[in-house]
Amino acid sequence: MPEPTSTKKISFRKIIRRESGFLVLTVLLGLFPFVMNLITGSGLNDGITKYWQGQLIAFFIMAVLAMSYDLLIGYAGILSFGHAAFFGGGAYTMALLLTHWGPTFASRYRITIPGGTDITTLIIFIASLLASAVVALLIGALFSATSARLKGAYFAMLTLALAEAIHILAKATDFVQWTGADEGLHGVPIPAWLNPTQFRLRFYFIALAFLVISYFVIRRFTNSPTGRVIVATRENEDRMRMIGYNPATYRTITFLTASLFAGLAGAMYSLWNMSATPSMTSAVTTVNMLIMVILGGMGTLIGPIIGAGLMQTLSQFLYNFFGARWPLVFGLIFIFIVLFFPYGIVGTWRLKQPDLKAGWERFRRLLGSKPPEQQ
Amino acid sequence: MKFAWKKILPIGAAIIMVLLLIAWGWTGLGTASFVRTTLSGLTLGSLFFMVAAGLTLIFGLMDVLNFAHGAMFMLGAYMGWQFYTNPTFIFGISPLIFAFASGLMLLPLIKPALIRWEINSKLQQNLPRIAYALALLMIFFAFNQLDIMGLADTAMVAITTTTADNPLAELSAQEPLLRFWVRPALMLVSGALIAFATAKPGDKTEFAVAEKTTQKWIIVAALFVATVLLTAFREALPETVLLMNGNLRFFLAMIVAVLFGLVFGGIIEITLIRPLYQRATFIVLMTLGLSFVIREVVQVLWDPLAYQMVRPPFFAQPGKAETVLEWFRNGNSTLNIFGVTFPTYRLFIIALGLVMFIFITLLMTRTRLGMIIRAGVQDPEMVEALGINVRQVFTFVFALGIAMAALGGIGAAPFIPVQPLMGDQFQMQGFITVVLGGMGSYVGAFIGALTLGLARAFGDYFALKLSLSPAIAEASTVIIMIIVLLIRPSGLFGKKE
Repeated sequence: MPEPTSTKKISFRKIIRRESGFLVLTVLLGLFPFVMNLITGSGLNDGITKYWQGQLIAFFIMAVLAMSYDLLIGYAGILSFGHAAFFGGGAYTMALLLTHWGPTFASRYRITIPGGTDITTLIIFIASLLASAVVALLIGALFSATSARLKGAYFAMLTLALAEAIHILAKATDFVQWTGADEGLHGVPIPAWLNPTQFRLRFYFIALAFLVISYFVIRRFTNSPTGRVIVATRENEDRMRMIGYNPATYRTITFLTASLFAGLAGAMYSLWNMSATPSMTSAVTTVNMLIMVILGGMGTLIGPIIGAGLMQTLSQFLYNFFGARWPLVFGLIFIFIVLFFPYGIVGTWRLKQPDLKAGWERFRRLLGSKPPEQQ
Repeated sequence: MKFAWKKILPIGAAIIMVLLLIAWGWTGLGTASFVRTTLSGLTLGSLFFMVAAGLTLIFGLMDVLNFAHGAMFMLGAYMGWQFYTNPTFIFGISPLIFAFASGLMLLPLIKPALIRWEINSKLQQNLPRIAYALALLMIFFAFNQLDIMGLADTAMVAITTTTADNPLAELSAQEPLLRFWVRPALMLVSGALIAFATAKPGDKTEFAVAEKTTQKWIIVAALFVATVLLTAFREALPETVLLMNGNLRFFLAMIVAVLFGLVFGGIIEITLIRPLYQRATFIVLMTLGLSFVIREVVQVLWDPLAYQMVRPPFFAQPGKAETVLEWFRNGNSTLNIFGVTFPTYRLFIIALGLVMFIFITLLMTRTRLGMIIRAGVQDPEMVEALGINVRQVFTFVFALGIAMAALGGIGAAPFIPVQPLMGDQFQMQGFITVVLGGMGSYVGAFIGALTLGLARAFGDYFALKLSLSPAIAEASTVIIMIIVLLIRPSGLFGKKE
């Protein structure tokens, strides 16, 4: 493989400048519970502050999920309809291990560090998390192995069907004593120190850290030489093959990365809800992710985060406004966006930025303030 | 000769395999369960084919993965069922639709004159906007307070309280005719306004010729006359329909579903799909959003309930018929086939699927249109280069596909509950069928649908035998698809990339 031509060192300051928007958002979100507490005075772990923390936790997890999906459809240009399989796979692995393996393990062994502190639950938690990641990776490997020769619509259909098969297995009554079939797993015994109802603030920061770390890792991935090859393959696969890259390899890499993050998001989601249900593996979940990505803008990474947030707030708002039939309004908005703003919020913003800047200058001149200094 | 072999080989192999399977199944299962399972499989396969046929044609010709196909299937079922049980809604709303269409059909007639109109650029920009706004306002007033909500109640009432003299169990009187006239009139004007706006008055860059004017005027006039007649007889017509023989009414319901599918499919293609042909991914997203919206609209109109459509009398008489003749005479609900008691309505579904397959085969192989479609599947650009309006063919094929799905929906309605999610499962299986058979090939869709249907039926049978849940049989269809795709990446009958 040829070496990347640009070996320019990216300084830390440069990263901070480039990601300033995201970092500001992170800081704001980190301060949010305390500010909210100051305003409402309801206590950090109580009342309205607690409620909004919950909303934001769901948003963080969904944002990671949307980002991982964006990696596939935005960066690699792969239209895959099986993303719910990774998400559900991660969620189910976490929930199954914590329900069926965790208690038996804890009753047999007790692991302590030299100081005498009991870390058995921590070990169980970490092992389950790793297992979720591994299961998601395995599902991703299965997807890319079966679909290696396929293209376009066949590929989309195969991923849809595979995810459907996993959905069917999650619902199957044959494994009812393990998965709870249609009901799913509820009341998963997650470690007490992580309980999202008792230690909401702690969980809030864990979820926030999860989002921030995921964002930077995925960003690093897309900016890496591998990421560049993936984007180039999206643009022109034949040419990349001519240069000597194997598109199938890079597709597998993308698939594995996306499935890893989707699986971790699923594990987090099952921790947050303390449950894993078949609906997490259904096509509806994939469609929701798709809507988030389209809403925010494909291939921008920050877009899906915004899309996830918008979807969360919009669904709340529309539900309050229109009642149970809110998806109707949502669907109309979606069609409108697809028809008129195909690049999503961030994409459209980037397209119109020069226009907006020019408009702002004109506005300032109109107000009679000083014209911008020309250098 | 080599080419012919390539075509015949998969078919021959399939036939031999099917024969082997039949022989193995017959000896292994015993006659009774084998016949029953096979017939169930054929019923399912027939329904799968009705969904898959449209999907495969639409995809083959224009590369559109239609995720709204299941929603169309469901809408067809709702429309047919509504017509069958209480057509008041359909007859009440059709004058408005016809009036609107009549106004819209003026477009090709007024366009040549309008684009030559000398107006200044500001007016040229704003006139269409004003016209659109006015049209929307008029549509709002036309539908305002129209008694179309609460269909869930009216639809259920009519069938249970039908009597000889008053088949409509409407408690409240309908709107007086004199006041109702305003609604179609408004719709007519708003249709004309939209036609006016889309014609882009004063736009010199547009091009239009006045040709076949008489023909177009006749269409407008016919739609107008239909509006007037439907408005005048809007109370008498539902009564007539409800007093009809049930079989005839069911037949009419199927025709209504097909017509609805044709019109609705055409409208969707022209307004929503056509602007997106340059961006293929977004068509998928569009159809996804569309299925979302359709499902919600259905739930608004009919409430999120599951309905059971009554079987037409020809399949409803209790008791078993020993021979086919006896069934035809009495209209029994079950029939004795090789000692197996099998519901006659399912036989009807199988027949419907076969008729549809024959229809498509004739259309594709014996007509000029079919020739164009087949050529379009091979290479749309070349067909366009030969001077054929491919866009029009696209619209027709899309409408045809939707109509077939709608027919499948009304065909399935007496057999499965009519509910907003009824199409989703069929859509999934339809996709698998299409992939299995190869996209763009209706023969492939037929074979694929039969394979899947039989696999499901036999899978269910064996799952029951081995005390597994039917979910495993459902997953088996996916496995079949994966195996086929691993061996032949473009499906059984698909064209090679």
